[in-house]
Amino acid sequence: MKYARVGAALTVFAVVASACSGSTASPSAAAASGGASGGTGATINVKVGIELPMTGGEAPNGVPTANGVALALSQIQVPGFNITINQQDDAVNGKHSADQGAKNMSALANDPSVLFVVGPYNSNVAQAEIPVSNAAGLMQCSPANTAVGLTKGDAAKALRKTYPDKIAYVRVATTDDNQGAGTADIAYNIANAKTAYVLDDTQTYGKGLADGFEAAYKVFGGTVAKRDGVPDSTTDFNSYVTTLKSLNPGIIMYGGVTTSGIGLFRKQMAQQGLATIPLVGGDGISDGSAATPSSYLNIAGPDGDANSYSTVAAIHDIPDPAKFSNDYKAKFNSDPGAYSAPGYACTQIFLEALKAVSPGVTDLGKLREAVRAYVADPTHTFDTVLGKVGFDANGDTTQHTISYYQFDPTTKDWKFLKQRDFTADPVK
Amino acid sequence: MTTAVQGSRSRLPVLDRRWLTPIGVVLALVGAFLLMYLGSCSTVGAGTCDRFSQGEDQFINALTVGGMYALIALGYTMVYGIIELINFAHGEVFMCGSFVSWGLLTNLGFTGPISDPLLLAGVLVLAFLVSMVVMGVVGVVIERLAYRPLRNAPRLTPLITAIGVSFILQNIIFVGISNSFVNSPQIIPNPLLELGAIHIRLINLFVIVLTLGLMTALHLFINRTSLGRAMRSTAIDRDAAQIMGVNINSTIALTFFIGSALAGAAGVVQGLYFGVTQFQIGFQGGLKAFTAAVLGGIGNTTGAAVGGFIIGFIEVLASTYGYGRWSEAAVFTTLVLVLVFRPTGILGQQLADRA
Repeated sequence: MKYARVGAALTVFAVVASACSGSTASPSAAAASGGASGGTGATINVKVGIELPMTGGEAPNGVPTANGVALALSQIQVPGFNITINQQDDAVNGKHSADQGAKNMSALANDPSVLFVVGPYNSNVAQAEIPVSNAAGLMQCSPANTAVGLTKGDAAKALRKTYPDKIAYVRVATTDDNQGAGTADIAYNIANAKTAYVLDDTQTYGKGLADGFEAAYKVFGGTVAKRDGVPDSTTDFNSYVTTLKSLNPGIIMYGGVTTSGIGLFRKQMAQQGLATIPLVGGDGISDGSAATPSSYLNIAGPDGDANSYSTVAAIHDIPDPAKFSNDYKAKFNSDPGAYSAPGYACTQIFLEALKAVSPGVTDLGKLREAVRAYVADPTHTFDTVLGKVGFDANGDTTQHTISYYQFDPTTKDWKFLKQRDFTADPVK
Repeated sequence: MTTAVQGSRSRLPVLDRRWLTPIGVVLALVGAFLLMYLGSCSTVGAGTCDRFSQGEDQFINALTVGGMYALIALGYTMVYGIIELINFAHGEVFMCGSFVSWGLLTNLGFTGPISDPLLLAGVLVLAFLVSMVVMGVVGVVIERLAYRPLRNAPRLTPLITAIGVSFILQNIIFVGISNSFVNSPQIIPNPLLELGAIHIRLINLFVIVLTLGLMTALHLFINRTSLGRAMRSTAIDRDAAQIMGVNINSTIALTFFIGSALAGAAGVVQGLYFGVTQFQIGFQGGLKAFTAAVLGGIGNTTGAAVGGFIIGFIEVLASTYGYGRWSEAAVFTTLVLVLVFRPTGILGQQLADRA
């Protein structure tokens, strides 16, 4: 009987643990505040939802991205509208949570004055949110999602449960087939590694990115010596490092995010004297300098940072980088993050759509649908801080550019190497 | 332990009973090493990979992390043995211990390896002493405030307060110190030692020796001292022990002190070995250690140590064979299988013998 008790104890523990990991976000209660006045000349109160991970180890990702949205709203006005932010946080205990993301998305969908959402940051969160935004007909624009299955193929159709042919999710970051190709390009052509050890964090984004890497790396002519995955709460990577020693690959490719533990992995590699083997990762590890608490470079430590490469699934050389960076610094007193400009771009797309559809429409429900339809229309292009952006029939950006970075020991930060446009210059 | 092997005496007339345990341990270790050896180099062509040294490294990895799990598991099992409470706050005690040592070492100004052996030894003793005493006291306070008032309440009630305490501890660190990873100073230098055929890093050797030492000390304390006897008798029958003059309250408090101090030591090891800590490691570490305690036979201190090492070995084996993504599944599958065929765990219950 004792073990029945132990079992019951475990169950209770699990239930309580999941129930108590509740939200730190404060969903807006002012659902009715954005009333449609109808009269000419009166301003209409509308909101942009921001759905990003804002706390804990995710703060280096979410906060600069949300700042990009705030910067755009402060600089661009739409006559007749007073636009504010409904801020949501999908980090639970400092880590992005798909469940929390879905809850936040429902809260945003239930706030009639929210016409557009910027977010989420993580692909598995998007997976949980797309069915919600699709059912509500609320357009969301992700600045950073890269997993292929979110927009393409049957998997994406299954996510758009309610209206399979209605796009309510677009993204300005390109997909992991391209980002994977970018990491493979770095591995094969920049780090000159002909064999790779590929590791993913068993999450939607990480696994997809590693798959994209494998496909492109083989096209380049590289050999994948071994592929493995680590559950995302692992802290002991020493056994992986030992295996690595026997493989002695030219490079390690990591598909995953920093909060899954790659910094620890790199630190343990350095401890066993293996940090001479380069490591390449995607935008999941491109999360700030060594001085940023909890970033990849911060956790891996000085020895681990050496020979590290990363990518970002967006244009680095934006049309006017100095202006954007100066404006950002003036407002937030810090450098923009990897996805600040994409966050800004999402907001620009919304504002442009709102300008185009708003004349004569005052009903919030109609505005929401009109904005959605305008953004999703593949014939429209938008002038953004990233340059001209349009979306294809799946909601994917027409820009297929990946930016490459390498760790720079003098600044202790990522240094831009180059960017590659995979439309103009595909992997052959 | 004694009851478990009594039956086998007659069947093995040649072997003296007291040799069974050491022989079993040696066989298990050799078997584990063989498994590591066979799994190593599975993806690399023969000749390019030194199977022996790979297997050896993995073996040491498993012993190190298994020792850490075992240290935490001991606290679970001791508390369960004496008051039949699954102390879910125990994983958080381990986590807090890692933060105590992090705070101490960073405040003393250490950031990297200490090369002076005397200074290193002094700092290590200080770190372990402070963390173990602080966490031991925290454990006693938790028992006094959250469990003692509920000692005669239905069993689910203290379980809920235990979960409550674990959230309180987690949130104290989350709000008060850091909501993400912090880098803990790795003060032990990291040379590769060559002891005959054995190649081992100093930190691994240190952790293994430390955990074995603490376990031996605990074993001697429980079995050879009068306080240990009081603990055992309280576990077997609290009322009878009280009639015989054992102070129940102080004995239970002592159990919490020792269990929590061991978790505090594991916390220091976390910082020294991994160089990182975080407010959430208590959940994962606690779950693994709890599994270890159940696997070995909850209430049984030897079982908890054995269970901890087994879990370390399973995890490392999974990644040795290239199935790292299945490591957690492998751990819990083993737990299920053991409980199906041996519901009392591998070594059975020892301290608590009430049905």
